[in-house]
Amino acid sequence: MSAERATVPNVDQNPKKLDVRSILHFLQRFQSILGLIVVVVLASILCVRDGVNLFLNPINLANIVRSVSENGIIAIGMTLVILIAGIDLSVGAILGLTATAAADLMMHKDLGFGSTLVIVLLLGAFIGWLNGIVVTKLSIQSFIVTLATMSIARGVARFWSGGIGIPITYGDEPNLAPPAFSWFAERISGVPVPAICFILLSIIFYIVLKFTRFGRYVYAIGGNETAGHLSGIKVNRIKIMVFIICGVLSAFAGIIHAAQLSQGSPNDGNGYELNAIAAVAIGGTSLAGGIGTIFGTIVGALILGVLDNMLGLLNVDNNLQMVVKGLIIIAAVVLQKSRSNR
Amino acid sequence: MKNTKKWLFLVFVLVLSLSLSLAACSNTSENTSGTKKPSGGDSGEKKNFLIGMSQANLGEPWRVAMNDQIKAAADEYPELKVVFADAAQDNSKQIADVENFIQQKVDLLIISPNEAKPLTAVVKKAYDSGIPVIVLDRKVEGDAYTQYIGGDNKLIGKKAGEFVAKMLGDKGGNVVEIKGLEGATPQQERHDGFLEGISSNPNVKIIAAQNADWLKDKAITVMETMLQANKKIDVVYGHNDPAAEGAYIAAKNANREKDIKFIGIDGLPTPDGGLKAVMEGRLSATYIYPTGGKEAIESAISILEKKEKVEKTVILDTIEATKDNAEQVYKQFGGK
Repeated sequence: MSAERATVPNVDQNPKKLDVRSILHFLQRFQSILGLIVVVVLASILCVRDGVNLFLNPINLANIVRSVSENGIIAIGMTLVILIAGIDLSVGAILGLTATAAADLMMHKDLGFGSTLVIVLLLGAFIGWLNGIVVTKLSIQSFIVTLATMSIARGVARFWSGGIGIPITYGDEPNLAPPAFSWFAERISGVPVPAICFILLSIIFYIVLKFTRFGRYVYAIGGNETAGHLSGIKVNRIKIMVFIICGVLSAFAGIIHAAQLSQGSPNDGNGYELNAIAAVAIGGTSLAGGIGTIFGTIVGALILGVLDNMLGLLNVDNNLQMVVKGLIIIAAVVLQKSRSNR
Repeated sequence: MKNTKKWLFLVFVLVLSLSLSLAACSNTSENTSGTKKPSGGDSGEKKNFLIGMSQANLGEPWRVAMNDQIKAAADEYPELKVVFADAAQDNSKQIADVENFIQQKVDLLIISPNEAKPLTAVVKKAYDSGIPVIVLDRKVEGDAYTQYIGGDNKLIGKKAGEFVAKMLGDKGGNVVEIKGLEGATPQQERHDGFLEGISSNPNVKIIAAQNADWLKDKAITVMETMLQANKKIDVVYGHNDPAAEGAYIAAKNANREKDIKFIGIDGLPTPDGGLKAVMEGRLSATYIYPTGGKEAIESAISILEKKEKVEKTVILDTIEATKDNAEQVYKQFGGK
């Protein structure tokens, strides 16, 4: 992962300077978690009204993890894609398409819980596969490819449902959704199910990236694709796999989305790709590929969620909220840049 | 390296100071209501109320006007403080906005939902936790809300139809319809109402109908095609003012604007709204599609201060604005 980092000449620095440097290095290494601590502390101090802390309230905290979980799940897939120096702009459209598909399959095609889940995830996998195939076999930049599939997925979703949302109502009769599906919108002893899914997927992909050969290959390709190729890695296969994973995770987020909103709307998920990229970037993953972690991405998603929540609780003007969010993203990326430049 | 550090520092200071100052200014205004709240029960001093307004999106001028009218109406009552949230057309964001308002324990919630189904649960959550809820324009499912206030699209369509039937007289004429967004309820209702309105005059014919998705630029393209295809067009019925205005531009480009009358809907009291277009002679008539902003604040006062029970459903009437009354209507709805 860090062939260049290993050669950073720390040797001929004088000891005093080295000390300052190593502290700074430490700070930058954990910049994302520090950022999270800063916003959490800020929110805990500011969101107090009439002596009641609106922020540090279990219900509010549960609301936050619930609201970040969709973006978080997508951002996990986005992290993998960005690690191989790619980008996936189709994730939001896949979410809209799969949410619509899930609603339609259950409400109009009378499919059960399991088969709906499988078909929808396969649909996400298919679009991911399409992204991967075109990127690798036709060697077109992923930005362009996924821009195109974003349009395609959105168009298919709108065509499928005639441009309007499909409401989901639960029941055992035909043309009603299986009640099991509503599980995705429930809370287990106060913890929202989407948040549990997010946490589980984070752990899985943390392990995949850190401890499997696949994970090492992902880092290797992102660090130096040619070197990876020369050392015998099947670069194309790994890349296609990564895009498929991203598609499946987006589809899973689509399922959660549909359950949360009791509706599959083809217009939903607009702009979600940008939120996911923001979470990845704030989490310290380099958009040039090869450097980054799932842990950083989770923290990045949480920073965005806490920030949204805090600014909302403080009733900050919505337009200013966008400005503040933009500034935070720049600050995070500047931090990250100063790290990778050395 | 040194440079980057400087930059870093600068950006962080900027972000921090900005968010702090923002927080500070909103906190002070909260404090005034906060300190008065406990003493509000005493006689003599009026109790202060915090109202949360959750708007579906502020991309549509009509919704901006709704927020403006709520703000203007609330300014009449110093004891009311309204805080606004904009969901930017995102159902998930609007759910989070309402959850935030519940956390803040607002005294009353006004919501104009982005879509019915996804917002139903969270509106019910607010209502069940004891917060009175006023729903504007788009409905939610069930009856877990205090009051619904909305316009009547079918009535508006009908009045527009009757106006056209009367204007064209016994000779009748050709009407083209520039519709809204396919599948949207207002589009269906504005269409159905219009058909009902013109039914009294069998010589009025709709010779073409196309969607322009409520957009002015799209309406221009749609109208250009219609002008090409139809030699004689007497009336354009736009499902909203931008559609009618777009059609006017296309007709003007073809030098045919003098032969055609343009009818719109919405009648916003803004410089680019339909009322101005009527005053300036581009549109023959527009129909106010009321936002209910003012009515919502009046209901809020009834609920919070007078402790009155309010009607479950309030359907607002429209106003037909022609060149005779457009200026007066413009002023009535707060146009400047």
